[in-house]
Amino acid sequence: MNWQLWLAQIRAVVRLEMRKTFLSRRGLWVYLLAAAPVLLFFGRTVDVMRSREWFDTSVAPHAVSRAALESIQPGANLEDVEARLGEPYSRRVFQSRRHSQTWLSYTDGSNTYTFRFSDGTLEGVSTRDRANFQDDALIYATFFQFFYLRLLIFFGCVGIFVNLFRGEMMNKSLHFYLLAPVRREVLVAGKFVAGLIAASVIFCTSTALQLWMFSIPFHATIESLHAANYIGVTALACLGYGSVFLAAGLIAVNPLLPAAIVLLWEAANLFLPSALKKISIIFYLQSLCPVLAPPEKDMNPLLALLVNSAEPTPAALAILGLLAVTALVLTWSAFRARKLEINYSSD
Amino acid sequence: MAVYKRTYKSYDGPLTPAWSRWMIVTRFSYSRLVGFKTNLFLLACLVPAVGFAAYIYLAHNAAVLKSFGGNFASALSIDGKFFFNFCTFQIGLAYLLVAFTGPALVSPDVVNNAMPLYFCRPFSRSEYVAGKMAVLVYLLSLITWVPALVLFALQSSLAGWEWTRANFWIAGAVILAPLISIAILSLIAMAVSAWIKWRAAAGAVILGVFFLGAGFGSAINAVMRTHYGSLINLSQVLNTVWAGVFRQNLDTGLDVLDAWNALAGASLICLWLLFKKVRAFEVVK
Amino acid sequence: MTPPPLEQSLITFDNVSRFYGEVLGVNRVTLSIPPGITSLVGPNGSGKTTLMNLMTALVRPTRGSIRILGITPHQPEKLFALLGYSTQFDAFPKGLTGFQFIYSFLRLFGKPHLECERLASQAIERVNLAEAAHRKIAGYSKGMRQRIKLAQAIAHDPRVLVLDEPLNGLDPLVRAETIAMFRELANQGRHVIVSSHILHEVDMISDQVILLSNGYVVAEGKISGVRSEIRDQPMQVLIRCNRPSALAAKVFDEDSVVEARLHSDGGGLLIKTRDADKFYRLLNHIALNGIEIETVAPADDNVNSVYEYLIGEEPQK
Ligand SMILES: Nc1ncnc2c1ncn2[C@@H]1O[C@H](COP(=O)(O)OP(=O)(O)O)[C@@H](O)[C@H]1O
Ligand SMILES: [Mg+2]
Repeated sequence: MNWQLWLAQIRAVVRLEMRKTFLSRRGLWVYLLAAAPVLLFFGRTVDVMRSREWFDTSVAPHAVSRAALESIQPGANLEDVEARLGEPYSRRVFQSRRHSQTWLSYTDGSNTYTFRFSDGTLEGVSTRDRANFQDDALIYATFFQFFYLRLLIFFGCVGIFVNLFRGEMMNKSLHFYLLAPVRREVLVAGKFVAGLIAASVIFCTSTALQLWMFSIPFHATIESLHAANYIGVTALACLGYGSVFLAAGLIAVNPLLPAAIVLLWEAANLFLPSALKKISIIFYLQSLCPVLAPPEKDMNPLLALLVNSAEPTPAALAILGLLAVTALVLTWSAFRARKLEINYSSD
Repeated sequence: MAVYKRTYKSYDGPLTPAWSRWMIVTRFSYSRLVGFKTNLFLLACLVPAVGFAAYIYLAHNAAVLKSFGGNFASALSIDGKFFFNFCTFQIGLAYLLVAFTGPALVSPDVVNNAMPLYFCRPFSRSEYVAGKMAVLVYLLSLITWVPALVLFALQSSLAGWEWTRANFWIAGAVILAPLISIAILSLIAMAVSAWIKWRAAAGAVILGVFFLGAGFGSAINAVMRTHYGSLINLSQVLNTVWAGVFRQNLDTGLDVLDAWNALAGASLICLWLLFKKVRAFEVVK
Repeated sequence: MTPPPLEQSLITFDNVSRFYGEVLGVNRVTLSIPPGITSLVGPNGSGKTTLMNLMTALVRPTRGSIRILGITPHQPEKLFALLGYSTQFDAFPKGLTGFQFIYSFLRLFGKPHLECERLASQAIERVNLAEAAHRKIAGYSKGMRQRIKLAQAIAHDPRVLVLDEPLNGLDPLVRAETIAMFRELANQGRHVIVSSHILHEVDMISDQVILLSNGYVVAEGKISGVRSEIRDQPMQVLIRCNRPSALAAKVFDEDSVVEARLHSDGGGLLIKTRDADKFYRLLNHIALNGIEIETVAPADDNVNSVYEYLIGEEPQK
C-alpha cells in the first residue's frame, strides 16, 4: 500500500480542481444559490429591526384592549368600529371608480390587527404577532429542511459534482488526468475531496451567515441557534449528495436524468418501506436536523411534491448510515472509473 | 481586370419576400428539432383531449348516463372550469415538451458561430427571434389551445346556440390563456438556450426556473411573512393570470394585476438575456 | 547490469481488435514495436488514434491484449511513469498558463514542488516555448498548443513517447527542430511512436513504418520493405457468374490465387490474388470454357488506393 504517494496525488488533484470549482465563471451560479438565503435573512433582520423600532415609537402608544379587538365581527360598519376602538395607528384607503377599500390597523400592545373594509363594511381581519425567537426558529427549521437542503444544496451539488467528470468530458480535457500515473480510484477520491471542499465551504459559510443574520434581532446564542448542528448537517448533505452526483457525472451522458430520479426518489422517501428509506440522503439529514419542522400548511403543490418528513433515527446511526451510503456510492464510482474510456465525440 | 470581376457573379434569382423571411429560420429549426420522438410525444399529448371529449359526449347523452343510474347528468357540467382544467393539464405537458426541445433551439447557433452568418445577411435580430420562437409556439399550440378549441366546438355543437352565446368568452379564454403561457415558456427556453450550450444543463435550468422559483417564493413568503414572494413563483403567477382569464374565483394568494406585472417583468428579463446573445459575435474556444 | 529480457523492451499488440458499436476501430492487430522512431501512417479514420488510445488505456480493446515494455495498459501507476502521450485533442484545462499546466500535472506524479518546477521549465525550454510559458494557453497559436502538448508528454522523461500527429500545425523550422528532437530521443534507446497521414512527412525519419487502412495493418517494417510489401498485398476480386463453385474449383489450382470464397448471396465468388494481371489473363481463359461470367470487379480497392494515397504513384502491375 502506497498511502503516502496516494495522499500526495489526491492533494495534487485537489490543487488542480480548486481553481475550476471556486474560480470559474461557469460556477458563479452556485455562489448565487448560496447567497440568496443569506440575503433573504438579511432582509428579514432589517424588517424586524425597523418594524420593532416603529412599533415602539408610533404604534404601542395607541394600544387598545385585546377583548375589544376580538369582539369586532365581520359585517361591522366602519364608523361603528372606529367609534368603539378609537383612532387607528394606521389607515389606508383605496378608492376606485365604484368601490372604496379601507384598512384600519390597531394593536393590543404586542400583536397587530388589520381590519379590511369594503365600501364601509368589514370583510376581514388579519393579525400579526410581533417577531419572536420561537416562531422564527421554527420558520428557520422549515426553511432549512424543505428549501435549503432539498433544493439549494441539492442543485448546488448537482452543479459542482457532476462537473468533476462530465464537465471535463465536455471540455475534452479529462484525458490529461487519465494519462497521469494515478490510479483511477485515487483520481475519483481526489476529485471527490475537491468537490466536497468547494461545496462545503460555500454552503457551510452560507448556513453560518444565515444563522448570524437570523440571530441579530434576537441576540440569540450559538447554542440556542443549534449552529453547530445546522452547519454539520450542511456539510453532511454536501458529502451525501456529492457522492451521488459524482457517480452520476461519471456514468450518465445526460446527468439531468439521474438528478431528476434522485430528486423524485428523495421526495418519495416518505412512502417507501423503511428498508428502502435508508438508501437515501434526505432520510439521514432530516434525522439530524436539530428542530423538527412541521410540514407547511398551505404549501405550493409543486413544492409539496418534493416535500415529506421522514421519521427520525438516532443521530449516531444517522451519521453512520449517511457515511455508509456515501462510501457505497464512491466505491461503485471508483469501480466504474476503472472502466472509463475517453469518448468525447458522443455528445 | 480584377479577378473578382471576371469570376464573381452575385445571386440574381428570386428572393424570399422580406415580410416572410423570418419563417426560413422556423422551417429549418423545425426540421432539425422535430423528429420521430417529438412527434410521438405530441401524439401522446392529444390522448387526454380524447378523454375530455368523451366527457363532453357523456354529458350530452342522457341515455348513456341513465345506464349508470342516479342523477349523474347534473354532476357533469361543462363550463369555464372544465376548460380551465383541460388547458392547465395540457400546459403541463407543454412545459415538459419545452424542457426537452427548447435547449437545442439557439445554442447550436451560438456554439457553432452561426450568428455572424445570419446577421451578415439582410436579416434582423428580431426576425431571428421571431423565427425561432415560432417553432415552439407552433408545437405548443398543437397540444394546448388547438385541441381546446376543438373541444369547445364539440361542446357548442352538442349544447346548442343558447349555451354557445352565453359562453362565447370561453373560446377566447382557451386561446388567450395558453398563448400567454406559451409565450413566457418559449421566451424562457430561448433565453436559457442562448446562454447555456450544454443541452442537459439547459433542460435542467428550464425545469429549475420553475422549481427553484416555487421553492424560493415560498421561502420568501414564510420568512418575510408576505405574499409577494409568490411573484417569483412563475407557475403560481400564471395560474393567477389564468384564473382571471377563465373568470375563475380562485384564491391563488396573488393579485391579478401583480401577476400580470410579474409576467411582463419576466418576459422583459428573458428578452434582454436573449438579445444579449443574439448578436453577430464569435465564440473563441 | 544484464540487459532486460526482450519483452521488456517491446510494445506488443496480440490480436487486438476494437469496435465502436458497429464501427470498426482497428481489427486483429498483431505488432511488436522495438525502440526507435515508429510511424503509424494511414488516411483519416484508418485507426491510428485508436491504436494509440488502446496503448494508453483511453479505450479498452474489445479483444486481444497489449503490453508496453511488459506492462498492461491498466496499471496506470506503472505505465504512465514511463510513457508520455500527446493526444490529438486540441483542448486544455481552463484558465491555466503553459507552465501551470505542465507543473500541475507533474504534481500528480507525487513529486515534490521544486522538482516539478525544474522538470516543467526544462520541458518548456526543450520545445522553445520559454517566453510564452507564463501566458494563458487559451491565447496560444495552434503550433504553440501543439508544442505545449509535446512538452507535457516529455516532461517526466518517459521511455515511451506516443505522439498523435505531432507535426500538425508546425511551421517548417519548428518541424525540423521537432524531428531532430525525436531523433535524439530515439537514439537514447527510447520508443518514439508518431502518427501521420502523410508518408513523405515521416518516411525519412522513421526506423520503421506501420501502414494502416480501414482498421487493418496493411504493412509494417522498414520503409523500403514496406514499399515492396504493399505491392505484394493480395487483391480481392468479386466475380459474378452462373456457376461460382465450378469456377472456384478451377481457379484454386493457380498459385496466384490465395483464397477463394463463395459470396454470401450464392451468385458470385470472392477471390484473393497476389498477381492481378496474371489472374485476369487466367479468367479470360476460363470464360471460354463454358462458365458465364457477368462481371469482374475489384472487391476492395483498399490496398491500391491506400498505396496511391500514401506513396503517390500507381502500384506496378
Ligand atoms: N469514439 C468513437 N465512436 C465511434 N467511432 C469511432 C470513435 N473513435 C473512432 N471511431 C472510428 O474508428 C475509426 C478509426 O478512427 P481513428 O482511430 O480516429 O482514425 P485516425 O486517427 O487514423 O484518423 C474511424 O472509422 C472512426 O470513425
Ligand atoms: Mg486521429
